[in-house]
Amino acid sequence: MAHEEFEIEISPQGKVTFRTKGIKGPRCLDYAEVFAKIIGPEESRQLTSEYYEQDAEVQQHNQMKQRRT
Amino acid sequence: MSTVIVLAPLIVAGWPAITAAVTAAVATMGFSVARAGVANQQFASTESRTEIEVENSEVLRGAAGTGQEIVVERDGVRATFTRDPRGALKICMEGKGHSKSDLKKIGEELLGRVTQQYVYHRIVTELKERNMSIVDEEVAKDRTVKIRVRNF
Repeated sequence: MAHEEFEIEISPQGKVTFRTKGIKGPRCLDYAEVFAKIIGPEESRQLTSEYYEQDAEVQQHNQMKQRRT
Repeated sequence: MSTVIVLAPLIVAGWPAITAAVTAAVATMGFSVARAGVANQQFASTESRTEIEVENSEVLRGAAGTGQEIVVERDGVRATFTRDPRGALKICMEGKGHSKSDLKKIGEELLGRVTQQYVYHRIVTELKERNMSIVDEEVAKDRTVKIRVRNF
């Protein structure tokens, strides 16, 4: 599995922008939610195309499952 | 890039954590700690004075904290951080020859830096606990802290 990366920016006012990179599917939200718990409430959320892509392993698993049925 | 989430910070901490954040943050604005300990606020009548209540904060009640204050100073401007009766963080700004709006502006900048420092500490602690590695870290010209994290 590829390394998962994310970027955190803390503004001079303490506001936090959290960007995930290379994490496909809804799992990227898991990371963001961990930090929301310790930092504070979510102000905005923007999901990009990668969010709607599936992780390669999940995709392979689903294809194999479909072939069996 | 798959997700961008913006989080509004909440300061929820005991007095020792607040003191640590204040001490580290104010130095970046040229302030230095004049006093830390039991509250002993005395105001000179000739000084302008304004207070800022930090809405999104809760200073946890504890053995160390209630009745405590930390006072920082720079060029005749004094900022006193305390826990108000509701448990929120409060900053009292004073300074001779400064308008209230000037003091409020400086106070809000101080508060931002303290919040930034507090949030930075929370994030770094959490990353260590989760064995995540910081692969790059920088402070931009506008003082935004940028951290790149890799989960192996």
